[in-house]
Amino acid sequence: MTERLFPAQEIGSLARPRWQLLGQRGEALDDGARAEFESWDRRLKFAAELPAARDALLAGKTKGPGAEAVRDLAALFAIRYLESAGLERIYDGEARRVEMYEHPVRQMQGFRFQGHVRSFDSKYYLKAAIVEPVRLDKPFDVDEFDFVRTHAHAVPKIPVTGPYTLADWSFNEYYLARQKGWKGRSARRSAQREFVVDLAKNAIRPTLRALIDRGCKVIQIDEPAAGTHPDETELVVEGFNAATEGLEAEFSMHICYSEYRDLLPALLGAKRCTQWAWEFANRDSEGHDGYEVLRALKEYGDKRSIGLGVVDVHRDPVEAPSVVADRIRRASKYLGDPSRIWVNPDCGLRTRSLEVAYAKLRAVVEGAALARAELSKPGR
Amino acid sequence: MIVHTGLTGAFPRTEELVRATRDLDRGRASPDSVEALFRTSELEVVALERRLGFSTVTAGYLRWPDLFRAFAETWEGFSVGPLTRWFETNTFYRQPILFSPPLRVPGAFAARIPAPLRAEPASARILLPGPYTFAGLLENRSGETDSALVHRLGRLLADEVRELRGLGFSTFQFTEPLLVVRPPDGPHAEAVVEAYGSISKALNGGTSIVWTFGKDALPALRILDRLPASVVGIDLADTDVDRLPAGGQVPALGLGVLDPRTTLPEDPTEVVRVVRAAAERRGAKTVWLGPGASLDLLPPEPATRKLEVLSKVQRTLSEGGRP
Repeated sequence: MTERLFPAQEIGSLARPRWQLLGQRGEALDDGARAEFESWDRRLKFAAELPAARDALLAGKTKGPGAEAVRDLAALFAIRYLESAGLERIYDGEARRVEMYEHPVRQMQGFRFQGHVRSFDSKYYLKAAIVEPVRLDKPFDVDEFDFVRTHAHAVPKIPVTGPYTLADWSFNEYYLARQKGWKGRSARRSAQREFVVDLAKNAIRPTLRALIDRGCKVIQIDEPAAGTHPDETELVVEGFNAATEGLEAEFSMHICYSEYRDLLPALLGAKRCTQWAWEFANRDSEGHDGYEVLRALKEYGDKRSIGLGVVDVHRDPVEAPSVVADRIRRASKYLGDPSRIWVNPDCGLRTRSLEVAYAKLRAVVEGAALARAELSKPGR
Repeated sequence: MIVHTGLTGAFPRTEELVRATRDLDRGRASPDSVEALFRTSELEVVALERRLGFSTVTAGYLRWPDLFRAFAETWEGFSVGPLTRWFETNTFYRQPILFSPPLRVPGAFAARIPAPLRAEPASARILLPGPYTFAGLLENRSGETDSALVHRLGRLLADEVRELRGLGFSTFQFTEPLLVVRPPDGPHAEAVVEAYGSISKALNGGTSIVWTFGKDALPALRILDRLPASVVGIDLADTDVDRLPAGGQVPALGLGVLDPRTTLPEDPTEVVRVVRAAAERRGAKTVWLGPGASLDLLPPEPATRKLEVLSKVQRTLSEGGRP
């Protein structure tokens, strides 16, 4: 499957550096933001590649159109950050996106934002309702991809939020209103199916096609909502298949914090998916083997590659490379084929500081090297 | 038909409260200013509930992070655990972890009840976790069996009810999604019935409402019909009225008639139709209507629009006419 065992890849977003936030707002950098910028620039030497943006940022002159130059600089920073950590597939840390739901929804037509909804404690997200049929006037993320393609030395892998997750995280008004009579479970299900398929065909597929036309070869479809309603797994698959129909690229599907067994075997119907990029490390603890669930893929005879989550993105302590290597070893045993394993963090590292995230990415790479060396020993 | 209406869970926070609580987390707002905003917002929810003619008021339980936190943070034996998905939603609760058999701390829960309810307890609806859902969703490291834990939580919640009755509260809702999501059987079912038996003895003339949602209630009707509760509620977003068994004789029927999963407001005519159909099938002369589940899955404006539908439905059913 891969040329050498256990290549490493990123999986999603990174925390925004403070200098980016201030720069985008057109504000002068404070001492902390300036020190953070200079410290990372010493390590990654990225800013000299965009000298005009760097100078404007440091001079506090990024108001108005200067904000875009700051985003370029932040995207370049993330590219070099991920490359420097040793990853073979990278993106830009989603430096230009608000977050994975609001960003694509704002590119589409037919949605109306309704307000904030609580996710937990005092954490909220902005949620939209679909009030007209889904439309897309112009494919999105193409300029973003062009920038990454132009600047990256490693292979770009673009994350795109999948149709099922976009539908699940929205309020369904338009399609539900078309259902006659009482809006019970069966009406909701039919309306949701129409919504997912329209999203896939009218918005996601045209975007994927445009990205592929620009040279994109590796695309990660994010479906974190897939585990929310296990009895809708066929709809996840229908959305994925409709979004990728007739397109040629290496597609993966990222799912996290779900009971994967509950999604099988229905999930295996995702035709053009060549890799499952799933979270595992979060559930791996003393007394609980988080990787054992991989046996299920073997039982079903599924031969796709795995994007193996080997570090937890919700805790600060950094996993030792030996822990990562042990996780890879167990996954290899359960899958029965180490050549199908890519390694990555469980999910996007946005909730960790840049220092912690970098240390975790290094642990991924070093743990993979340990496991690779061990499996390469004669007699193994 | 006698029709009671009211919220069955938390009401959403306003955009102003969202901003204030975020700012508090980021150190950009003072606890006093946020506290003042909570107080105002609670009174606004009570005013809304009164304007809409609801039988019970809640003040929205705006401060509660989730259904369990008031207990996990105050009762002995618990700690507050990891974020865990709240059924089939994109919201999360912190899973209580039980290290040893739980002990109730008198007065601790009462202190977490919204102030406007403490001021007028007679019309308040107190939200409590049902013993089965509480036992089933916590991580049990206490060494007690699951059935014994349901029993024990039933007794502790009964003590809570006793204390709150003494403070003038009379309506208690036990939120029990797990009863329909994972219906108990065998000894678990007996433990649930006995837990509610304990609660029933503590009511002393008060009203107990067991509120379910999250799955079709039909497979759980056998256990739901056995519960010694004043009202058992089912969510009509998940349960098909036409499949409810006919010929029942339940004293009062709870019906979730507003769906918090969509901002689309319900059609009052349709709601009246399904309520009448459900009441007729179950032989109920009294109905308790509300949102199927907590309305804080919605932003406040669409949530308010839905509650206005509920008020309209209540008037129509009480007057026996058409909406």
